[in-house]
Amino acid sequence: MPYTYLITGATSSVGSALIRRVWKPGDIVIAQGAGDLELLEELRPLCGGSLHCYDVDLTGEAPLAAFLAEVRENFGCPTHIVHLPALRVVNKKFKNFDEQRFLLDFNVQVMSALRICKAFLPDMMKARFGRILFMLTDYIIGVPPKNTTAYIVAKNALRGLARSLATEAAPAGVTVNCVAPYMMETRFLTDTPDLIVEASAAANPMGRNARVEDVVPAMAFLLSDEAGFISGAELPVTGGARY
Amino acid sequence: MSEQEIFESVQEIFRTVFDDDSIVLTREMTADDIEDWDSLEQINLLVAIEKKFSVKFKLDDVKNLPNVGAMLDLVKRMVA
Repeated sequence: MPYTYLITGATSSVGSALIRRVWKPGDIVIAQGAGDLELLEELRPLCGGSLHCYDVDLTGEAPLAAFLAEVRENFGCPTHIVHLPALRVVNKKFKNFDEQRFLLDFNVQVMSALRICKAFLPDMMKARFGRILFMLTDYIIGVPPKNTTAYIVAKNALRGLARSLATEAAPAGVTVNCVAPYMMETRFLTDTPDLIVEASAAANPMGRNARVEDVVPAMAFLLSDEAGFISGAELPVTGGARY
Repeated sequence: MSEQEIFESVQEIFRTVFDDDSIVLTREMTADDIEDWDSLEQINLLVAIEKKFSVKFKLDDVKNLPNVGAMLDLVKRMVA
């Protein structure tokens, strides 16, 4: 059966690698990015005309609403929803908490996930099939690192949404899961000083940070047909650092 | 850059990172002397020092710094 994947944050390293991993002939991929769609062009030779790229600013409600309406009109209800986007992590003491930036990130990470699910989950449930997957972080496991309040609050809200939807959607055979990776060496870390990246790798029991190729197979599994009895899971991909 | 200039700049970095203008560094000072100085703040200090002095530390160079004096000596060697 051909599937329709709606992938937000698809221009990330994980997004493109995931498309490469799960796409098969007949499938449709609706890929959202924000000002960086050229990063998806490398997938064109593989997916051809079945890759549909949309430049959508997820920080506000209106562009997302227009995007979702267009998706519905052109492709109907997706069978798979993968939500990856987040603003870069800001290391800041709580006394300097930047509410405006937090709200932007909250819109990108949480409100957009909520609105996408609100738009499509009821139809997924009617279809008695669907897979929803959110990108979390291993910071949600155990004691979070300090100075990351904005990120932790947003990720835990996303986690709460996933758990809540997993409960509601299970009777219809729709699964809602999350992956929670260790610091992942991707473009997302471009602005992170090498020392922080190296220190994170040194602190991991396996002596390195997560790689895209560690995380994408876990995601592909949770999206697969055979993972149909797994819902509400938060899968740590951490090299044993947190679980 | 003189030793005194390095000292003053590093002291300023400590004051900014720990948000405490009353910090007066001594060479013997360690993480035990500043309440918030843990491994994360250590990295934040080093990253701020990298930025200030346009240097780049290797993790091996900085993971066993015993005190502020060792940190100052490392900066001195790197900006020399």
